[in-house]
Amino acid sequence: MRPASGRVPASPGRESGFVLAVVVFMLFAISVAAATGYTLVSSEFALSRHSGDGAEALAVARAGLERYVAESLGTLADTTAYALGGGIATVTPRKLFELDSLNEVWYVRSEGTVEDVRSPGAPARRVVGAYATYRRRPIPHYASVIVSAEELETDGNGEARGFDHDSAGDCPGGGASTIIGAIAQDDVDEDNSSDIQGNPQWRIWPGGASAILDSIRVRWDILTDPDFPVEFENTLPNFSSIPSDSFPVVRYNGDMTSGLQGRGALIVTEKFDPPSSFNWSGIVLAGEIDDRTSGYLDGILIAGLNGPNPYDEVELRTDVNYHSCDVYAANESLSYLELMPNTIHETN
Amino acid sequence: MVLSSFVLALATHAFLVQNQLYSLQTVRVGVQDAARASTELVAREVRNVPRGGLVVAGRRTLTVRTPMALSTVCYRQGSPDADVFSEGGEDGLEVGAVAGVAMRNDSTWDYQSSTWAALDGGDGSSAANCAATGADTVGARGAFHRLLDLDNLFTGGAAEGDVIMIYRETTFTIATSLLEPTGLALFRADYGAAAVEFATGLDTTSHFEYRTSVGTYVDTVTAASLSAVDAVRIVVDSRGPAVTGGAQEVLFGWGVNVPLRTVRSEGN
Repeated sequence: MRPASGRVPASPGRESGFVLAVVVFMLFAISVAAATGYTLVSSEFALSRHSGDGAEALAVARAGLERYVAESLGTLADTTAYALGGGIATVTPRKLFELDSLNEVWYVRSEGTVEDVRSPGAPARRVVGAYATYRRRPIPHYASVIVSAEELETDGNGEARGFDHDSAGDCPGGGASTIIGAIAQDDVDEDNSSDIQGNPQWRIWPGGASAILDSIRVRWDILTDPDFPVEFENTLPNFSSIPSDSFPVVRYNGDMTSGLQGRGALIVTEKFDPPSSFNWSGIVLAGEIDDRTSGYLDGILIAGLNGPNPYDEVELRTDVNYHSCDVYAANESLSYLELMPNTIHETN
Repeated sequence: MVLSSFVLALATHAFLVQNQLYSLQTVRVGVQDAARASTELVAREVRNVPRGGLVVAGRRTLTVRTPMALSTVCYRQGSPDADVFSEGGEDGLEVGAVAGVAMRNDSTWDYQSSTWAALDGGDGSSAANCAATGADTVGARGAFHRLLDLDNLFTGGAAEGDVIMIYRETTFTIATSLLEPTGLALFRADYGAAAVEFATGLDTTSHFEYRTSVGTYVDTVTAASLSAVDAVRIVVDSRGPAVTGGAQEVLFGWGVNVPLRTVRSEGN
């Protein structure tokens, strides 16, 4: 039976189709809006991220350069990579000029890269460079024994002999000029004549530790910092497994009372108190020195760098004989880079 | 019919709102980009300004000298020339922008105006000469170059081991825009070159400030006091036009303090 209006009612399926079309259209519009908004925001985000990566790469490059220079000790590594923050710094030094036999000008280049996991093939990259002076063999050969104690006196087998026990045939530069026998703050004396020999036999440095540090050009505060890496710390290398001309840096944190036997640059951060079995070739740098020392040293001894020595009078029973070749070799291991002021610059 | 009209009106309104949103967002992006780009352009130069590199410090004019290359004299060619090393060599230089050379002493630089044409001495034997004095030239032959006339530029001349800076001199100006004369723009000019409009749409409040002591910023520094400046504040306010549909014009701005190298240890 037809309804009174005479209209045939639309089927339920056709009504649903109209609403569905509207809904789909609206959903499409919303999707387009969302996609456009996402594109806008993501492109801004990408710009910001790339800018941030570039800034981080610059910071990484600078940090790598500073670290390389700060940690330089001995022979310079060709290329060194550091993982710093979110990036990698690759540092490459280049020798440019020999100012003299002890000072060279180097260029240090550091490339910082920060990789984005979304574009690993195109990392942010910044390069900085700087000039540095390479201080080779920084410690001058002043005296066979330098102590900041008020008085130094030989005793027993103690000797401080400043004439070179090496000859020109032992190494380039061997057979060096005779250096001072011993230096102390107020007084130097010998138990037996000829215990102390040199040119002059001895000298007084009233300035103590600060005068010594000013003269020997060694970075004592850095070398004794436990965070500063050295080749060997609180242990000796196996000398039979390293080249015979290798004189490594060995650091002992605290007092040194062991009968060490070896060669190199020995750094004792606190008291140097060697027993009679101590036998070393090279350089000994010590924060303090005991009032009575023993053993043998072929090289030079510099002690009392921490400040006024706790013992006013030191009885030197260590037999110290200046060997220029051993001192040269150990000194080479203490070489370091020093940045020239006003020279760090960005190169890209 | 009513329902259809309602749906049509709804859809139209939705599109209008979306369009307004896009337009507003686009203007916002443009305004923020102008501010960001202006800041970054100036800040990047200012960060590299070495000691004595601030030349003009005005409210809307800033002129700085920045290194294009830092070189080391590795061989004296005989007065007055010298062979030098610099990363990238001549290929790494934008030679048309060279404004002069400066020689480093420990505390500052001695600046002398010059041009690349006057300085360029070629690089025929520079690498070999420097190798003879101990330089490692492997893989870097192009990094060695000859500079002319250094002895006449610097009192006492240049010695082996001296560090030489080849610098550019850049002037930033905030002035009436050429592209949109109703507003201001940031212009950048190399030494002796015409200014180029870099960022358009800056507000009249945009300017530079200079720190002469802790907490004290001034917008103009006299030549005699330039050495006291240790930071530059870049104040950039950017303005976008009103968007169709009644939205207000878009404003975006910030101030960025950029310390000069002089505040860092030993100028590094």
